[in-house]
Amino acid sequence: MALQPRKLCFVTVGATASFHLLLESVLSAEFLDALQKHGYTNLLIQYGKDGQALFDDFAAKHPPGHPIYHGITVDGFDFKHAGLDNELRLAKAMPSENRSGGVVISHAGSGSILAALRFGVPLVVVPNPTLQDNHQEELADVLQQEGYTVWSNYREVPSALDRAETLRTRMLTWPPVYGAHRKQPKNLEGVISEEMGYLD
Amino acid sequence: MALFESPLTGLLAWFLFCGVLGLISAILFLRALAVSQHTAVPRWRPKRSSVHLLVVLGSGGHTAEMLSMLRRMQLDPTKYTYRTYVVSSGDNFSATKAAEFESTLLNRGETQSYTIVTVPRARKVHQSYLTAPFSTLQSFYSCLMVLCGLHPDQQARLRELPSPYPDIILTNGPATAVCVILAARLLRLYCYCLSFLFFGRIHLRPSSVADTKASGKAPASGEFRLRTIFVESWARVTTLSLSGKILLPFADRFLVQWPALEGRRAWWGMRKTEYVGFLVD
Repeated sequence: MALQPRKLCFVTVGATASFHLLLESVLSAEFLDALQKHGYTNLLIQYGKDGQALFDDFAAKHPPGHPIYHGITVDGFDFKHAGLDNELRLAKAMPSENRSGGVVISHAGSGSILAALRFGVPLVVVPNPTLQDNHQEELADVLQQEGYTVWSNYREVPSALDRAETLRTRMLTWPPVYGAHRKQPKNLEGVISEEMGYLD
Repeated sequence: MALFESPLTGLLAWFLFCGVLGLISAILFLRALAVSQHTAVPRWRPKRSSVHLLVVLGSGGHTAEMLSMLRRMQLDPTKYTYRTYVVSSGDNFSATKAAEFESTLLNRGETQSYTIVTVPRARKVHQSYLTAPFSTLQSFYSCLMVLCGLHPDQQARLRELPSPYPDIILTNGPATAVCVILAARLLRLYCYCLSFLFFGRIHLRPSSVADTKASGKAPASGEFRLRTIFVESWARVTTLSLSGKILLPFADRFLVQWPALEGRRAWWGMRKTEYVGFLVD
């Protein structure tokens, strides 16, 4: 029997603001059940500067081999200075390394969203309701409407995994391509050239 | 004049006078801002002239987006011959990312021609609002020095450029951007006033295409520099950011990446925001 391919769910809460609500939601029996149902083998969590206690607490309560895990390996780290590109790459399907396509669950920070879109990994965007001036929900909403990502409330993350699987079957290309019927908007180079006085 | 005999009416007249004066100067100020937003850009520029691009980086998200935009536009180092990156103090992430981005340009066979300058933060996290105005002033002064090429981080190499002023200032809205763009406008105002004092020596008025072409040179040194381009963050779908709201009347070009933000302007007669689609990759 061939070894079961690794399938990774990568959760990132960002480096600056804490997002305990999302952490609590993914560190739960319900979420781990949902992961098992979709054939995930690994859960990797970037829990941020002050999420360590929550993560350690969960690990202490549920030692390795506890039935709550269903054999899923759970790892975590606080944050990485160099960015999350390596972790995002692990969520991408790579048959040569026995990896099937995973999912990224991210806070609604534009940096993380853009990185996941660039890698072409199905993305679940979870806005942080505790942040003031919450323009993140608008972004999550419009990205879901346009079919780039799945928008989920932090409470509904387990069910968002279903929608992420649907998204995987019809991923849009990134950066967006403008078809012949749609006017290609001006690009940045064009605007700078106009300001500089280049003729072309 | 019986009207001015009573001290009360005299005071009232003074208030009226000051009020009218204030109103006139306010109108003049607004008018000057509106006019300066519509300044002409050079209609012609020789292909191989040196261009100094200044990029303002901010904390995590802003920096990631800005570098994403620079990648997407495939910044050509032979065209933008000198780059300056402004980062705020303590922001090692942005400085690292900028150096990383520049190293990808080096792979294309270019020599290193950029500087990363550090300016103090306008307000540190948890800093008292009492001292914030002073640190903001300090930050503003530092930005002014950067634009004049006098900041200690800037190398001597900058002096080889035809002008200390950057040609283009590109930003997507961290707090430092407000200082940089306001400083740029102040400098342009200063150059504009100088041109009145030394009329004929400093050319700030757009010379005709025929003139420029005949001389075969790039526009004169103070001319058409410090142009500011503000790109609203890709994360802003229906509302402008605070930096955006502040800079709406000051930036020469205000680009937005979602259609709902198109056509906003500070007030009547001002330039509108332009929808340009996604600039990020």
